[in-house]
Amino acid sequence: MNRFISVLLIFIFPICFNSCSKIEDLQEDPNRATSVSPELLLTNIETRAFDNVSLSSALASRYLSYTNGVNSNQYYNWQRSDFGGYNDLKQVKKMVEESENAGIEVYQILADFFNSYFIIDLTQTFGDVPYTEAILADEDIYQPVYDSQKSIYLKVLNDLKSASDALAVNQEPIAGDIIYNGDKLQWRKLINAYYLRVLMSLSKKVGDTDLNVRSRFQEIINNPSQYPLMTSNSDNGALAYHNIQNNRYPYFNDNDLQTAYYMEQNFVERLQEFEDPRLFAFAERKPNAANAPVNDFNSYGGLKGSEDLNANTSKAVSGEASRIAERYFFDPVNEPSILMSYWEQEFIIAEAAVRSWISIDPQVHYRNGVEASFDFFTTQIPEDYFDNDQISLNGDDEIQKILEQKYISMFMNTGWQIFYEQRRTGFPEFNTDGAGILNNGRIPKRWMYPMDEATNNSANLQDAISRQFAQGDNINAEMWILQ
Amino acid sequence: MTKTITLLLLLLTTTIGFSQQQINGEITDNNGIPLGGVNVLIRNSSKGTISDFDGKYSLEATAQDTLEFSFMGFRTQLIPVNDQSVINIILIEDSSQLNEVVVTALGIKKEKKALGYAIQEVDGQKLEKAKEPNFVSSLTGRVAGLNIQNSTDLFQDPQISLRGASPLLVIDGIPDRTTDLWKVNSDDIESISVLKGATASALYGSVGRNGAIMITTKKGKKGKLTVTVNNSTMFQTSFIKVPDVQTTYGNGNQGVYAYVNGSGSGTEGGGWIWGPRLDQTDSSTPSGYFETPQYNSEVDPATGELIPLPYISRGADNIENFFRTGLIQTNNVSVDWGSEKASFRTSISNVYQKGIVPNTDLNNTSFNLGGSLNPSENLSINSSLTYNKQYTDNFPEVGYGPTNYLYNLILWTGVDVDIRDLRNYWREGEVGYQQRHFNISYYNNPYFQAYEYQRGYNKDNIFGNLNVEYKLTPHLSLKGRGGANVYSLNRTYKEPKSYIGYGDRSRGDFTVADATYFDITTDVGLKYDNHIADQIGISGELAYVNYYRQSTSHTTGTDGLNIPGFYNLDNNAGATFIASNREEKETIHSFYGFVDFDFYDTFYLSLSGRNDQVSTLPEANNSFFYPSVSASLVFTELLDTPKWITFGKIRGSWSQVSEGKIGNNPYSHIQAYEKGTSWNGVPSTFFGNELLSSDLKPETSDTWEIGLNTRFLNSRLGLDIAYYQTKDYNNLIYSSISQSSGYNSILLNGDEYKRRGIEVVLDGTPIKTKDFRWDAQVNLSQYRRYQEEIYGDREQTDAFIRVGDRTDKIYAGVYQTNEQGQVIFENGYPVSDPYSRFIGYNEPDLTYGVSNTLSYKNISLSFLFDGRLGGLMYSDTNQKMWWGGTSPGTVNQFRDDANNGESTFIGNGVKIVGGSVEYDVNGNILNDTRTYAPNDVPVNYINFMQTTSNGYNKNYHYYKEDFIKLREVTLSYNFTEKIISKLPFSDLSLSFIGRNLWLSSKIPNVDPDPGRDNLQAPATRNIGINLNAKF
Repeated sequence: MNRFISVLLIFIFPICFNSCSKIEDLQEDPNRATSVSPELLLTNIETRAFDNVSLSSALASRYLSYTNGVNSNQYYNWQRSDFGGYNDLKQVKKMVEESENAGIEVYQILADFFNSYFIIDLTQTFGDVPYTEAILADEDIYQPVYDSQKSIYLKVLNDLKSASDALAVNQEPIAGDIIYNGDKLQWRKLINAYYLRVLMSLSKKVGDTDLNVRSRFQEIINNPSQYPLMTSNSDNGALAYHNIQNNRYPYFNDNDLQTAYYMEQNFVERLQEFEDPRLFAFAERKPNAANAPVNDFNSYGGLKGSEDLNANTSKAVSGEASRIAERYFFDPVNEPSILMSYWEQEFIIAEAAVRSWISIDPQVHYRNGVEASFDFFTTQIPEDYFDNDQISLNGDDEIQKILEQKYISMFMNTGWQIFYEQRRTGFPEFNTDGAGILNNGRIPKRWMYPMDEATNNSANLQDAISRQFAQGDNINAEMWILQ
Repeated sequence: MTKTITLLLLLLTTTIGFSQQQINGEITDNNGIPLGGVNVLIRNSSKGTISDFDGKYSLEATAQDTLEFSFMGFRTQLIPVNDQSVINIILIEDSSQLNEVVVTALGIKKEKKALGYAIQEVDGQKLEKAKEPNFVSSLTGRVAGLNIQNSTDLFQDPQISLRGASPLLVIDGIPDRTTDLWKVNSDDIESISVLKGATASALYGSVGRNGAIMITTKKGKKGKLTVTVNNSTMFQTSFIKVPDVQTTYGNGNQGVYAYVNGSGSGTEGGGWIWGPRLDQTDSSTPSGYFETPQYNSEVDPATGELIPLPYISRGADNIENFFRTGLIQTNNVSVDWGSEKASFRTSISNVYQKGIVPNTDLNNTSFNLGGSLNPSENLSINSSLTYNKQYTDNFPEVGYGPTNYLYNLILWTGVDVDIRDLRNYWREGEVGYQQRHFNISYYNNPYFQAYEYQRGYNKDNIFGNLNVEYKLTPHLSLKGRGGANVYSLNRTYKEPKSYIGYGDRSRGDFTVADATYFDITTDVGLKYDNHIADQIGISGELAYVNYYRQSTSHTTGTDGLNIPGFYNLDNNAGATFIASNREEKETIHSFYGFVDFDFYDTFYLSLSGRNDQVSTLPEANNSFFYPSVSASLVFTELLDTPKWITFGKIRGSWSQVSEGKIGNNPYSHIQAYEKGTSWNGVPSTFFGNELLSSDLKPETSDTWEIGLNTRFLNSRLGLDIAYYQTKDYNNLIYSSISQSSGYNSILLNGDEYKRRGIEVVLDGTPIKTKDFRWDAQVNLSQYRRYQEEIYGDREQTDAFIRVGDRTDKIYAGVYQTNEQGQVIFENGYPVSDPYSRFIGYNEPDLTYGVSNTLSYKNISLSFLFDGRLGGLMYSDTNQKMWWGGTSPGTVNQFRDDANNGESTFIGNGVKIVGGSVEYDVNGNILNDTRTYAPNDVPVNYINFMQTTSNGYNKNYHYYKEDFIKLREVTLSYNFTEKIISKLPFSDLSLSFIGRNLWLSSKIPNVDPDPGRDNLQAPATRNIGINLNAKF
C-alpha cells in the first residue's frame, strides 16, 4: 500500500502538466497578428509620410535659431543622415502584399505614390540610393546596389503618372484614410500636384530628353479633367493633430522650443520689410517689447543664424529676440502638418510659367499661393500687400519673389522642402556671413551616408560614392539633380 | 483528543522514567584547541546540545544512548554512553575536508573532491548579520567569477554576472526563471552554492547554460526545538559618494538670472546653472547683496512686479537637507525541530526599508514552512513552501531625467535655491494643478515628486516544492519532484498635474499595471547507486522533466485626469484609455540522465546528457541533445607528495549546452505585425524591423574547464584555480543588414564568440592559537570575450568589432584630431569626427574580494574589501555637470569673463589653415594634406561648455572604473555560558555591523560599484546592530 501510494505520488506530477503544455499548441503568438487588412497599414504609412514638422529643418532654413550650444543644422556642419525611409518603404510593400492577398487594387495604386514620396525624400538627402534592389530582404538581397539618381527620378515620374491614371478609373473604396477620408478626387489632386513638385525639382535638367520635364509638366496643366489639381486649402495633403495621446502636435509642451529657440533675424526682418502680418502668427513679441501692441512690427526681433553663439545668447539674454508663437508649444492641435499644400502647387505653377515651361500668366497662381498661405495662418492679407515692389511680380527677379513667398508660406510645415528649393534655386538667401558659421561658410548640399552602410553594404556604397563624388562622401558634394 | 494528550503525557513520563545521567566533557581538535559550536546529539532522538566556546558541553543521557558529535570540517564521531559520565573527545579534522559535501545541480549532494568543475559555497551564516535588502548583494566579493554590481537605489536589482553572463537562480532545486532576488529572505538560507560553469549546471538544461546560484533553504535540524530570533537594524547615516557641485554660481545663463514664470525664454526657463556669481556684495540693495527676482519673490502690489531677493548660496546643503536617514530593519523568528523521522522549520521574516528619499519605503515579508518526513525506511519526503509579499506605496523612480531626485536636487539646481523653501510645493491658488518650483519647464520640485508622484508596487509570491524518493531496492529508487512559482503583481503610477517628464508637462495620469505568473517544473526519474566492487562506485539518474510557464500582463492608463489628485481610471480626461495586454505560454519537455563513477576515492568520472524539446523555436528544429563529461583526480592519493601538501586534486570538464529560446519573448521565432499608433481612433499596424531566417536552430555553447584544488600545511592554506574557455556558436543573433533591404537586421544563427577567464580562490588560517584565530579568503577573477566569426560578408560588426577583437571595445563619437593627437578646431569649436573611434575597453581587468575574520574568544571581527581594476564606464553625471554648469571645474576666470559677455576661452588644439582630408567608407584616412596652426580663436566659455561638455578633456566622459570598497565589517560578541545560563536563551550574540563603509575610486562624483552611471541615488554608509538569540 505504502509503495503504491508513493509511486502514484511521484507520477502524478508530470501527468497533470504534460497534457496542458503541448508544444504544437504554442506555435502561435497570441499578442500579434500574422496577417492584417491593408487599410491598417495605410493609416500607419500616412502618419509616417504626412507627419513632418521639423525643428532641424527650421534651423537649417533660417526660420529659427538655437542658443543651447552650437547646433549643426544652424551652423551648417552636419554630417550623416539615416536610412529610416526604407522602413517606410517596407510598410508600403507590406500594404501591397496584403492588398494583393485581399484582391483589392486601390491600396496598390496609393502604394505607387508613397513609394515615390519616400524614395524622393531619400535621394534628395543623399544622392544615389538603392531602389530597384531595395526592400528585397525576403528574397535574400541583403546588400542592394545603389541606383543612379536619374533612374530613380525616371521611375518616380512614371509611377506617379500611372498611379494618377489608375486612380481615375478605380471604383474601390479607400478605408483607413486619415488624410482625405477616402476621397479619390483629392488623392488624384495630391498625386498630380506632387508630380509637378518632382518635375520642378528637376529644373536644372530641363534639357534632358529622357526626362522631358517640360512636356510632362504641360501634359498635366493642359488636361485638367484627366489630371485635376488642388483648388483650395481644403485639398491640402495635410495631417490634422488631435488632443489625444500620440496624436498631438509634435512640439506640444516641448521645453527646448519654449526656452532655447528664437526667431531667426533675417526671417523676421524680411517679414518686417514686407510688413507681412503673418509675423504675428509666427512669433511672440520680444521680452523687451512684451507690452507693446501685437501688430507693431518693431516689437519683434530675432537671432541671426550664422552669428557667433556668444553674440546670439547675449542678445537673447538681453530680451531682444522673439520666441516662436506660444501655440507651437502650448496648443496640442495647433495647425496640421503638411506633405504638400495648395499654395506650394500654385507657386510651382507660377515658377513654371516664369520659366516658360507653360504659357500661363504666373501672376494669378502667385497670388493664389500667397492668399492661401495667409488663409492657412488665419491672417488677413493687407489690401496693399502686392503693391510692395519687393512682392509684386512685375518682371524683375520673379523666381526670387516666388521663392521668397514660398519660403514664408512654409514656416514650420512641409518638412525639409524649402531647404531643397533653396538648394535648387539659391533663393531665398540663407545667411552664412556671421562670425559663428562653420563648414567654411558653405551651406551643405547633402548628408553623408549612414555609417552602418559601410559595414553592411560596403562594396555597393563605395561604388556609389566613387561614381558620384570625386571628393568622397562629403556634405558639400553636388548630387546629379543640382548639376 | 484528551485521550491523545494523556497518551502523549504518559509516553513522555515513560521516557523520563529511564535513568538519566549527567554527561560532561570537553571537545578539542587534535592540537588540543577547544572546539566550540560542536553539535552533540543523542542518536535517534531530538535531544542534544552545542559545545560552548571552551569546547565544554553537558547533557543528560541514559547508558543505552549513543552520542553523536558532529562539526563542520571534522569527522562525525559516535560514542556509546554506557556508564561514562565524562566523555572527552578529540575530533579529527577532516583533513582537506575530504568528505565535505556540496549541493550540486538538481540538489544532488556530492563530495567536493569528486567534482570535475568549479563550485564555490557561501554559508548562510555569512549573510545572517550584516544585511542587505536582498541576499544577492551580500554575495559581493565572496565568490570568484561572480561579479555583482550593486544599485544604490531603493528596490533596484543588482546586476549579476557569472563568468560574464547572467546565471540561473535556483531555489531548493527548482529554477526560478523570474529571477526575483527579493523573494528569499537571507535568514531562511542554509547555504548558497555557486555553480560556475556550464558543466556544473548542465543538468538544468538551457537555462543553466550560464551557471547557477543555488539556494538551499533551512529545513529544520535534528535536535531539540529551537526558536531563533534575529534582528538587524541598520541606519543609512551618510553618503560615501555624492556629486560634488560648485557653489560659486547660481541658476541662469550667461551670468544673468531673473525669474519670470519658471518657463520663460532667456535666462530662467532654460534651466542652466550658468548664472551670476552668488553672494556678490552690492551696497545699493537693502540686503547688501546683489538682488534679482526669484521664484519666491513677492509681488509688489504697486507695480505688479516681482520684488528682487538677495542672490546668495542658501542651498549649499540641499543634499543633507532633503535626504533623510534611511533604515533597513530585518526581523526573523524561526522555529526549528527535528528527529530521525521528521524535521520541521517555520519562519516569519520582515524586511522594512525606509528610503533616504522622503515618503519612500519598502516592505518585504515572508512566511516559510519547510520540513522533511521519513515515514518508513524506504520513503523520504521533503517539502517547502514560502509566501512572500513585497509592497510599497511609493519607491523612487530611477534613471537619468526629470524623474530622478539628484537631477532635480543638485545636478540641475543652482544653490541659490534652498530646498527647505520648497517644502510647500503647490503654487498658491493652484493646488492640485501647478507645482511650485523655480523652473517648471524642465524640473520637478523634489518634495512635490516625493509626496505627489507615487509609484506603488504590490507583489505576492508563492513558491514551493515537494520531493519524494522511494527506494524500490537498496540500490534503486524512484524520485519525483515538483516545484512551482506563482506571483501576482499590481503596480500603480500616480502622476500629478504639472509633473515634468522629458518634453512633457503632465496633465495628470493614473496607470494600473497587473501581471500574473505561473510556472511549474515536474520531474520523475530513477536513481541508481551501488558499489559494484570494492572501492568502485557507480551512481546515476534518468529522468523526464516537464516545464510549463504562463504569464499575463495588462496595463491601463488615463489620457489626462479631470479632477486633480483623484487617482481612479474613471477620472480619465481623454476619450479613450491607453491600454495594452500580453499573454505568454511556453513549455520544455526534457529527458536527462547522468552517471557518476568513483574509483578508489581517487578518480571520479561523470557523464551527463539532456534532450530538450522547446516551444520557442520552429517545430523543425525544436528538439536537441547536449552532453557533458567531467573528471577529477586526487593526485595526493596517487603520488608520494611532500608532507606539506595535505590534499591535491586536478579536475577537468567539457560540456555542450544549447538554448532554444530567443531573448525573453517565447514568440520571437514568429514573424508578425505590431500594433501602431491609432490616429484619432483609426487603428494602424506596422511590420517590425527584424526579419526572421526560415531556418532557426538552437544556439550552442561548448565549454571546457580545468582546475586545481590543493590544500597545504595541514589544510591551513588552500588554493583553487579554475580556467575556462567557452565557444558560443550558432548564436541566435540579430545580424545587421543594409537598412535599404527593408530591415535593420535578420534573426539567424551566426557569429561566434570565445569567452575565457580565470578564477583564483585562496584561503587560509594564518594564525590559530587557543584563543585567537585569523581566517582569510581572497577571490580573484578575470573574464574576456572575443569575436571569433562575423556572419555574412562583413569585415566588422555594427559595433566596429573585428574578428579576434575583444567584444567589449568601446567606440565613441569624438572630435577630429591631427596626427599628433591634437584636437582640431573650427571657429574656436572642436570639429566632430564623422567616424566613431576606439577609446577603450569596458570590462575590468580584475575583480577581487578579500575577506578576513579575526576571532578572539567570544569576539569576532570580520571585514570584506572588494573592487575592480581596469575597464571604462560612461558617466552621465559628470558629462551633465560640465554641460549644465555645476562642475567645480567650471569655476574659473573664463567663466567670469563669459558672465561679462567676453569671449576669452581658447580650446587646447589646432585649427586647419590649408589642405583637405579624404576618408574611405570606414573612416581610414586615404589622403591628408591638412596643415595646422594652433587654435587661437577665443570663444565664450559658457557656449563652449554647453556645446562640448568638456568631453575632449575628459575622455568623452568614459572614466576608469577602478575602485576598492570596504564592503562589510562585522564585530560580533557571543555571550558566554555564564551570562546565558542566567537568561532564557541557549545562545545569544550581539554584533555591530556596517556595510558600504569606505570607497576609493578614480571616477569623480559617482560610485562605480553599479558599473554604470544612471545618476543613481548617492551611495550610503549603512551602520547598525544585529541581535541573534536562540531559545
